[in-house]
Amino acid sequence: MTRLRPFVLALVLTTTVSVGALAQQARADNPEKFIASLGDRALQVLIVGSQDPSERDAAFREILDEGFDLPLIGRYALGRYWRRATSVQRREYVKLFEDFIVLTYVARLGEYGGETLRVVSSRPDDRDTVVISEIVLEGRPSIRVDWRVRDGDPDRSEPKIIDVIVEGISMLLTQRDEFASVIQRSGGNVEGLLARLREKSSDK
Amino acid sequence: MNPLSKISRRRAITAAALFVLAACASPDGEPTQIADPLEPVNRYIFAANLALDTTVIEPVATVYRNIVPDPARDSVRNFLRNLESPVLLTNDVLQRDIGAAGVTTKRFFINTTVGILGLFDRASDMGLARRDEDFGQTMGTYGVGPGAYLVLPILGPSSLRDAAGNFVDYYFDPLNYYAGNTDRANISFLRAGIRGVDTRARAIETLDEIERTSIDFYATIRSLYHQRRQSEIRNGSTPSLPKLDLSSDADEDRTASLEN
Repeated sequence: MTRLRPFVLALVLTTTVSVGALAQQARADNPEKFIASLGDRALQVLIVGSQDPSERDAAFREILDEGFDLPLIGRYALGRYWRRATSVQRREYVKLFEDFIVLTYVARLGEYGGETLRVVSSRPDDRDTVVISEIVLEGRPSIRVDWRVRDGDPDRSEPKIIDVIVEGISMLLTQRDEFASVIQRSGGNVEGLLARLREKSSDK
Repeated sequence: MNPLSKISRRRAITAAALFVLAACASPDGEPTQIADPLEPVNRYIFAANLALDTTVIEPVATVYRNIVPDPARDSVRNFLRNLESPVLLTNDVLQRDIGAAGVTTKRFFINTTVGILGLFDRASDMGLARRDEDFGQTMGTYGVGPGAYLVLPILGPSSLRDAAGNFVDYYFDPLNYYAGNTDRANISFLRAGIRGVDTRARAIETLDEIERTSIDFYATIRSLYHQRRQSEIRNGSTPSLPKLDLSSDADEDRTASLEN
């Protein structure tokens, strides 16, 4: 029996590992495909100058709604202030945040409009899958873009993007830092942030 | 006695002081955000820098970009970067990254010869990509946190660690010794000036866009600076997201918002 134990252990281990790896593989496959198609579409929509800005923003917003978990991103971006916000403030924030995210994403990804996105690999990271891709630029070093995809649960199944990390800079963390600063400077009041977001969304 | 030696002694003392400060600074509680105890002063300098940028630096950079053709500007940058090779190599070695040290060395020889004194980056064409290293990053790889965020006059965003690192890098650079020993201190200034204008010229649209889309430009730049440095220290791996800490109260929040 003692001599058998290592074999049993090895058998158990390999089975668990391979089943785990298979499950992981199946999940890892989908986010990659998901990003390949969605990211590419986003870049095509972003071709600057070829269409009028409001049309472009509307098309981009559609992709955002479809592929991104905007409510969750909004809550991450508000961080610990989410809990301090009243429900009225939350509702307004979620709406304004969507305008703001369209504005910043279009501005910061816009320069890569029309380029090609190539998915390189992916790896699991906590509850998410990080899909690593690059934007291939002619005659220049390619730009690395990582997509953090929150795996869909079995019931609703759709994976959704929660962060885009361009050359190591996370859009989500940047917004979170910025929002925290605005709130702190208005005495810890979420209203200060809403006021600034309102201004931004109206002066487009 | 050469007046420069006095200056360099003063620089060394300042560097030592900054280094100690940076080393003492305890790691931040919130690792994604950089500590900014000097925020009022920093914001003041930031505003002054911005004014200087709008009135002088950006116009100069725009003119530079308009009159110097792209390939020539690339060559200027390649030349300056090639001159930095000793600093890069020293930091590669200090980070015990032998692979990177090899790449830096090969790049230097290829670009100095085939690339005609560094004017052309032939090494990149051969798949030897450049990776920026400096003493601030080297300290980072040894676990030294950024300490406090600093906005330096004219030079812009930095941190205690990275400013100290800049001082140390100054002594890793043979060109500075040459300039110092031959009373040609303006070489170092001239080089810094050209590099600054070139870098600024490459970021005109990007910075404008960030300013336009920010609701707190200062905070955005602070965040971008910190994230870029962290990314450089990690040499490119993805940062982890901060804990959302709403796993348990998520549903509670959701119901709460529905109730009202």
